[in-house]
Amino acid sequence: MSRDEASRVAPQSKQTSLLPSGSWWYAAAAVVSLLGLADAIYLTVEHITGESVRCTIIAGCSEVLSSPYAVVGGVPLALIGAVAYFSVFSLATLTVFGYKGTRGLLTILVAVMFLVSLWLIYLQAFVIHSFCQYCLFSAGITAFLTVIVFLARRKSAVVK
Amino acid sequence: MKRNLPIIIILLVLVVAVGAFFVMTRSATNPTANTNGFSTAPSTTTAAPPGAQPPHTLGPATAPVRLEEFGDFECPPCGLLHPILVKMHQEFGDKLQITFRQFPLVPTHQHALSAASAAEAAGLQGKFWEMHDKLYENQKTWHDAFDVRPIFEDFAKQIGLDVARFKEDINSDIVGQRISLDGIRGHAMNVKGTPTVFINGREIPFESLPEDKLRVIINNELAK
Repeated sequence: MSRDEASRVAPQSKQTSLLPSGSWWYAAAAVVSLLGLADAIYLTVEHITGESVRCTIIAGCSEVLSSPYAVVGGVPLALIGAVAYFSVFSLATLTVFGYKGTRGLLTILVAVMFLVSLWLIYLQAFVIHSFCQYCLFSAGITAFLTVIVFLARRKSAVVK
Repeated sequence: MKRNLPIIIILLVLVVAVGAFFVMTRSATNPTANTNGFSTAPSTTTAAPPGAQPPHTLGPATAPVRLEEFGDFECPPCGLLHPILVKMHQEFGDKLQITFRQFPLVPTHQHALSAASAAEAAGLQGKFWEMHDKLYENQKTWHDAFDVRPIFEDFAKQIGLDVARFKEDINSDIVGQRISLDGIRGHAMNVKGTPTVFINGREIPFESLPEDKLRVIINNELAK
């Protein structure tokens, strides 16, 4: 292929790009939220079946998941987490496909989840005095999602 | 089609998530349970190493229902199971044999091994069950203590043990060996946490341990 031919092909490949600029960040957020969803479903099952109450060789989870903070208004906190991660997945997916208004909602939701995660880490460290590795994994996922979503917003602002 | 693609993807993930939830709940509840709440998994108790001999038992060896508990004295759910098993022992009398196996969760519970040793040391003076009851009934008083030795020595005094001998025995090889042998049996029987209860060799799911459910299971075993 000559240099002239190559220069004619390059702009064409840019036009056929699968996603609009910045959308890859939201696609990444959707994929990462699935990890959080899987973790939250596992914790919900543990809570509902009572397995989380049993003492295990892995320290912490039974203390954390059987504490009064693991339930909000009769609903397991893990189930609320699963709904939140599914909402993040839905909003991120809709944003990737160019739906309007979902980007702002996603940012607000992820920010709230991040703040709740900080509160839950505080409870584990200073109130319950035990850490549950699955809860910490969830907090890590939320922190990662926060970084991705805010980077995506920054990227979108630069493009505009 | 492109407009509907994200909706299709979202619905697909929803279906997979809900499906995974129900499958996991069902298998966690009891992968091999029949309608009576028994596990239909093959018995593992006879194939596993025997554990410490002689075991600590309540009720005759000829009892038609044999309940074996793997417990940790510092584990709160084990403490909750304790009065239920006391009640079952009173209700079923000679029809039920209860065996306690040591399964201290180290390092999850900092005093679990000391508590197991205290119970075994009391057992060497023939008062295992008295110390077992003291440890569970006073779990909250020693759970957060920095040094549990004076507390356990006080328990020993209260149940009428020779305290000097108790203090020697608690660190003895025989006590360590008994705990270790029970642990080996537990691991061979795939015990992952406490309390884990087997009835006539079959593991009872954790959610079947409340008093009313356990009573039904024992009665069903008696009816066989």
